[in-house]
Amino acid sequence: MVRALGVLLALGAVLSGPASSGPVGQGLLVAAAADLRYAFEEMGDAFRRVAGVPVTFSFGSSGQLAFQVEHGAPFDLLFSANEAFVKRLAERGLVLPDSVQLYAVGRIVLWVRRQSVLPVEQGLRLLPDSRVRYVALANPEHAPYGEAARQALVRSGIYDQVRGKLVYGENVSSALQLVQSGNADVGVVALSLALAPPVSSAGRHWLVPDRLHDPIRQAAGVVARSAGQAEARRFLRFVNGPEGRPIMRRYGFVLPGEGPTP
Amino acid sequence: MDLSPLWTSLKVVSVATALSGATGIGVAYLLALCRFPGRSLLQAFTALPLTLPPTVLGYYLLVALGRGSALGQWVEATFKTPLVFTWQGAAVAAAVPSLPLVVAAARAAFEEVDVQLLEAAQMDGAGTWQQFLWVLLPLAHRGILAGVTLGFARALGDFGTTLMVAGNIPGKTQTLPIALYDAVQAGRWDLATGLALALTGVAVVVLLAVGRLGTRLV
Repeated sequence: MVRALGVLLALGAVLSGPASSGPVGQGLLVAAAADLRYAFEEMGDAFRRVAGVPVTFSFGSSGQLAFQVEHGAPFDLLFSANEAFVKRLAERGLVLPDSVQLYAVGRIVLWVRRQSVLPVEQGLRLLPDSRVRYVALANPEHAPYGEAARQALVRSGIYDQVRGKLVYGENVSSALQLVQSGNADVGVVALSLALAPPVSSAGRHWLVPDRLHDPIRQAAGVVARSAGQAEARRFLRFVNGPEGRPIMRRYGFVLPGEGPTP
Repeated sequence: MDLSPLWTSLKVVSVATALSGATGIGVAYLLALCRFPGRSLLQAFTALPLTLPPTVLGYYLLVALGRGSALGQWVEATFKTPLVFTWQGAAVAAAVPSLPLVVAAARAAFEEVDVQLLEAAQMDGAGTWQQFLWVLLPLAHRGILAGVTLGFARALGDFGTTLMVAGNIPGKTQTLPIALYDAVQAGRWDLATGLALALTGVAVVVLLAVGRLGTRLV
């Protein structure tokens, strides 16, 4: 018995070796809003090629990620899907105030699967249709894209009609997943996800007019506890610079200082 | 395929099992052989994780170990890093729901040991610690191993508590179950399948290994 415990302890000691000295140790650890999943996988590869620094992402809803930063999660950077979370952390000294910057403005779309018979081009007025059983969105409580989706439903006057159909993903990519797996009929998700190759080939989308929701102003900042602040600032400059912007634009983001994409 | 969730899981679960194993055996000993005030409270308290939803456990741990708590601040001051959102935090999170399994099995095993054997050892001059180490543990080891094995499996499969306390950080706190969840969110079903198989494989190998260890220790 004692020996068995000893073996387990030794196993733990041995295993903690390779894992803690893995690639993450030298690279950047970036907390990124779920709408960035596909765009940032590409961004991470591009940055590694140029800077030689590997970037690992933890994707989640902005609210959850901000909570984790607040509680000391070992991130170097936070890319939130809204400004408020980053600014609030900066005010409390948890994110370096001089690093905070806008990096994108997001858009939302209605999304259905390729094989769906629903005419997504009809837009939001499709949602009250009896053929639509479930509408998936990110949880508006802590996911900015969910909040934008809720605003669009309210401002187009259909919220009360569709309220009973709403199902919530914990972030915008899990909302999309609810539709992709066929469990919800329509999703209100990020354009950046709908344009990603694995998703765009699997479905159709309709762009929700941006007058129907507050601008999804996405901001980022360097985490104050980060041991790799110089590299973190470099990645932030990369995303907002000549290398990163074309990638962001391709995923449908409107970029700071630029007009909407045609 | 990225193997880091496998290493993270093995590391987290090894430490979690050591924690729940050591604590569980101690608690089981107290419950089985000692009479003291608050004994039934201790019993209820250690069985609680069995009946509470993992998210409730996660929430309590976040409050108890978070940066706002006295314990959390002590850990941060001592080790220069908070416990939450680290792999060590994940280990604590995984240990809590596995604790009741160790306690239940070890307690039953201790209670089955003939008290006269302990009394005989005592008459031969063995102290409490010696009785525990040389009489009780050897006689109860099968039940204890069974409990620790179950605890290991429970820790390996933990999702909700770990996610709340340690997040989903690849290479640091992303265990196999969390990596699987992340893969499903990303729509990467092939990766999810691979991870599910890896998780099943680790569980089978571990159960076989501990089982064999058990028979060899007789």
